Amino acid sequence: MDELVGDDGAPRPAAAALMSLIDALGSETLVDRQHVAELDILTMGITFTVYSDGQNIDRTWPFDIIPRVIPGEEWDRISAGLAQRLRALNMFIDDLYNDQRVIADGVFPADLLKASVNFREQCRGVRPKFGVWAHISGTDLVRDHDGVMYVLEDNLRVPSGVSYVLENRAVTKRAFAELFARQQIRPVDGYTDELKRLLISLAPDGVVDPQLAVLTPGIFNSAYFEHSFLAQRMGAELVEGADLVVGDDDCVYMRTIAGLERVHVIYRRIDDLFLDPEVFRADSTLGVPGLMRAWKSGNVGLANAPGAGVADDKVVYAWVPDLIRYYLGEDPLIASVPTYRAMYPDERKFIIGNIGDRVVKPANESGGYGIVIGNRATSAELDAAVEAIEADSRNWVAQPILSLSTVPTLVPGGGGHVVEPRHVDLRPFVLTGLGSYVTPGGLTRVALPKGSLVVNSSQGGGSKDTWVVDGVFSQSQSQSQSQRQGSA
Amino acid sequence: MGLLARVADRLYWAARYVERAEDTARIIREHTNMIIDLPTSVPVNWEPLLAIMGTREAFDARYERADEMSIVRFLVADRENHGSILMCVEQAREDFRTCREVVPREVWQAVNDLYLYVASHHLDGVARASRSRFLERVVGESLRTAGFFGSTMSRDEAHEFIRLGRALERADMTTRVIDVRAGSLMVPVGEEADPHDDVQWMSVLRSLSALQMYHRATRRPVEGPATLRFLLMDDAFPRAVSCCLTDVMESLQRLPHPEVVLLACQQTRRLLAAVGLEDLDGDGLHELVDRLQVAIGSIHDQVMATYVRTPADH
Repeated sequence: MDELVGDDGAPRPAAAALMSLIDALGSETLVDRQHVAELDILTMGITFTVYSDGQNIDRTWPFDIIPRVIPGEEWDRISAGLAQRLRALNMFIDDLYNDQRVIADGVFPADLLKASVNFREQCRGVRPKFGVWAHISGTDLVRDHDGVMYVLEDNLRVPSGVSYVLENRAVTKRAFAELFARQQIRPVDGYTDELKRLLISLAPDGVVDPQLAVLTPGIFNSAYFEHSFLAQRMGAELVEGADLVVGDDDCVYMRTIAGLERVHVIYRRIDDLFLDPEVFRADSTLGVPGLMRAWKSGNVGLANAPGAGVADDKVVYAWVPDLIRYYLGEDPLIASVPTYRAMYPDERKFIIGNIGDRVVKPANESGGYGIVIGNRATSAELDAAVEAIEADSRNWVAQPILSLSTVPTLVPGGGGHVVEPRHVDLRPFVLTGLGSYVTPGGLTRVALPKGSLVVNSSQGGGSKDTWVVDGVFSQSQSQSQSQRQGSA
Repeated sequence: MGLLARVADRLYWAARYVERAEDTARIIREHTNMIIDLPTSVPVNWEPLLAIMGTREAFDARYERADEMSIVRFLVADRENHGSILMCVEQAREDFRTCREVVPREVWQAVNDLYLYVASHHLDGVARASRSRFLERVVGESLRTAGFFGSTMSRDEAHEFIRLGRALERADMTTRVIDVRAGSLMVPVGEEADPHDDVQWMSVLRSLSALQMYHRATRRPVEGPATLRFLLMDDAFPRAVSCCLTDVMESLQRLPHPEVVLLACQQTRRLLAAVGLEDLDGDGLHELVDRLQVAIGSIHDQVMATYVRTPADH
């Protein structure tokens, strides 16, 4: 299904103004605007870093000018579902590192926790503020042909992309200025202020005006642009591991031109295992020796908390609906994709027997790596997947092949450019602290080659602005209204 | 809020690179203009440009003939020359890109514009027909960054490090121009000056964009000693060494524990104050400039030692 155009070929109500403008402009003007947008991206220096041929290359951010549109009332439901999901996931993480009620009550299998590569023994007994571990999450959503929006995966470690939500909007505002004047499109700019508020709330007790820092692995990281962007928007310091030092007092300091200065809250964009060589990988040069000591002593706030990733692997995913019911006593407001777990012999047998029309995924890879799509893989690839599943069954899950929805996209064709449907997903960002905040919309990623389902920018995907539009009558309402007017 | 030592280092160098690109553009532009003005009977020489930039050896290793095209290409567009305009701008852009959290967005975008222009047009800077326009654009774009810097950036520690880098680079460049260009023009007492010397002295001033301000400040025609006094000791012209030194000291006053660096500045100031220019011939001037450059170099060393290398010890 298409997000902007109905099965009858008519624009959906929330997208009507956009689609009629696109028609009126014609493809030539649209291409002009696309070029202006690309020039904006170039001069604003909006980039991402790709690692290829042994080199890190700073590339211009790929962007398609035609936005994805979501009606406000639909978004309100999705947003409530995301906030609910993250509340439950955070209670789950806090439980795992403390009382493990969920295991004692037989809701979550103890074996799974034992086998988890993302459970950090070093975090047992820690109680972060508000019981929240995954403060910032980027949840991937897709819409299947049935029209239902499903959660595809939870990213609770160091999800990236939110900077592009804000930058895409800045670019689109210039490209389609006339539509912003006529429609109520929810602004996305508030995110960084909400993030700043959240980080401030994580400061050690009694600290007023805490010093915030964003901890980056450095300029060669694929998301360096974003680390820098967030630090700019919050007025935080952008630090690398070597800029920080933990003193004998278990407090974190940064090396300034005036000497050492205390840091109170760190938004870390480094994976757990590289965070502190005293506790995790001893060979890590990206981290800060002693950081875990400082965190456990309550002298520094860390977002996301170390160990939060225990709840975002693709195996735990299969339990999330149960966890929501268990912790909140509520039914999930947003759907999960039915997921088969290779750890159970009967489900494994089913996966292997039906591998040709399943997607199989390794539990702990990100960026789309390692995924095998049954109906697109060669038989050699399928054989290799079966072998991998049998060798390490806890690490694999399978889901039905979803047909990602599409959005009209400007692509090369017909000797120039044409507007054709391309597959998209959606990554909204959820902040959880004392309360919750969900970005209006999120990052829409688009697979640019015809028929492709791979949306990752590291693998040739593009992006779109996402509009949550208010004040639009649904189709049936506007029809009945016009009928009434006609009969009057 | 304290400035990270690593970031201070990057900002300082970023500013030096932008300034170096701008100054190099001025110098090449003026040299081209001067050679057009000289009568055809006077042999033209582009090699002083290499001497000013201190890159003679690197040039000789890569080019066979020291002719106009080779030298200009080397100084403008050669990726193997770290001091070429292209590489300075690229380095400055990379430094600013990795300090965006302390620099206003407008400053970054102006630096990025400078980079995008130079990256796509650097070959225009080589051919004589398009050279002036390219070099003027480099100067203009780099002043655009300075404009945004001055009008949108808080005068915080990050600001002072940019100012510091710019002022030291300027002082350094002015002494280099004096060393190479003026040294060969100084006439030993009793000898008669070459009739083309006034054109050359004017050119020295022009390559630092100083001619008009020289006339306002000195009320004299263009001549050697007055030009040197102006470029070394004027307290109001922004590219004069003394004025750059004032900028450096003002910046330092706004930074933590500047005592040792200020001491190095005062030594440089004393050096300037003790000079009797009328007595200097070519060799004496060369010696003076050498001492000045060492003094400026020691200010740089003290900045690094105080703020970048061992800040945790304070």
